[in-house]
Amino acid sequence: MLKVLDTAVPIACWSCSIGHNDSTLFCPHCSKIQPPPGGDFFQVFGLKRGFQVNLAALEQEFHRLSRKVHPDRFARAGENERQWSLADTALLNDAYRTLKDPLYRTEYLLKLEGAEIGEEHSGKDRKDPSRVPDDLLEEVFDLNMQLEEMRMARKMGEEDSELQASLTAAKEKFDGLLEAVDHDLRAQWQVWDAGDSSARQAAQKTMVALLDRRRYLSNLVRDVTETLGA
Amino acid sequence: MAYSDQVIDHYNNPRNVGTLDKASTEVGTGLVGAPECGDVMRLQIRVNPETQVIEEAKFKTFGCGSAIASSSLATEWIKGRTVDDALAIKNTDIVKELSLPPVKIHCSVLAEDAIRAAIGDWKKKNSVAETADAAAVAH
Repeated sequence: MLKVLDTAVPIACWSCSIGHNDSTLFCPHCSKIQPPPGGDFFQVFGLKRGFQVNLAALEQEFHRLSRKVHPDRFARAGENERQWSLADTALLNDAYRTLKDPLYRTEYLLKLEGAEIGEEHSGKDRKDPSRVPDDLLEEVFDLNMQLEEMRMARKMGEEDSELQASLTAAKEKFDGLLEAVDHDLRAQWQVWDAGDSSARQAAQKTMVALLDRRRYLSNLVRDVTETLGA
Repeated sequence: MAYSDQVIDHYNNPRNVGTLDKASTEVGTGLVGAPECGDVMRLQIRVNPETQVIEEAKFKTFGCGSAIASSSLATEWIKGRTVDDALAIKNTDIVKELSLPPVKIHCSVLAEDAIRAAIGDWKKKNSVAETADAAAVAH
């Protein structure tokens, strides 16, 4: 789903033949609909790459563009234009869904900038100790053991109130840690958006590590919530 | 994604799941995690102090099928080996045996790290000087 195409090359409009930057849904000269543009999701909305996005403006622009490319408006247009309106609508939806969600947006932009996220790193950087949240391991392991115990007890039709209290406390703690990670992520967004290329490199690295930690934590919170709610 | 038959076999019938006494001087414990997918793996060994042979190996892994299979296989392979022999096991051997796809290679790395961490812990407890090889991989 990642589109990282060279966007500097001007493309001639199929209708008026005037060259335009290949990142717009409509020709700036004759206003005709264009095939799905290359370039990234930010360009679809005329935005510069950045982790901080004005969500209200994004939503407005999404609605404005959605109306413009809506397939209903091309019902009587030529075959190409009808196809493009469908394809542009799909692209617009993908772009909006990705950019409006803080986590999706962060992962997307990190990938655009060449970072490897999640299972993609495939243990390549395992010599880099900053990437493994060591302080969490012991706790994570113990918590998983407690969860297993809790599920077993449930299966036998028993309720262990002590275990339940301990899990509830753990959930609160991990919820707090998750919030702290999100806070740190937002701080890195600011660093990246305002920084030069070396500041950006450092911020990217930090964000990848934060996302790893976040994945750990959110899996735990999910499992605890599931088990407690069962 | 489809798991290989070997992974499914280890997943359905994991070998050597369990716990050894962490406090025992004969036992080494390795606890490692893969932030990529949120897995956590504990591998424990009981080493015969006379022969340095790993007589017992247990694991407990919370994670995906590949992580469970990798650790299960690791315990099978290190049992009966000397500590130094066990250090020769490479994650690529595990990848080959389990036919792990590229996105799951980190599971095998985790299992290799767990073996090294467990042996490292045992050596520390027993003040065995780390060999150059082991020191190099322990960062």
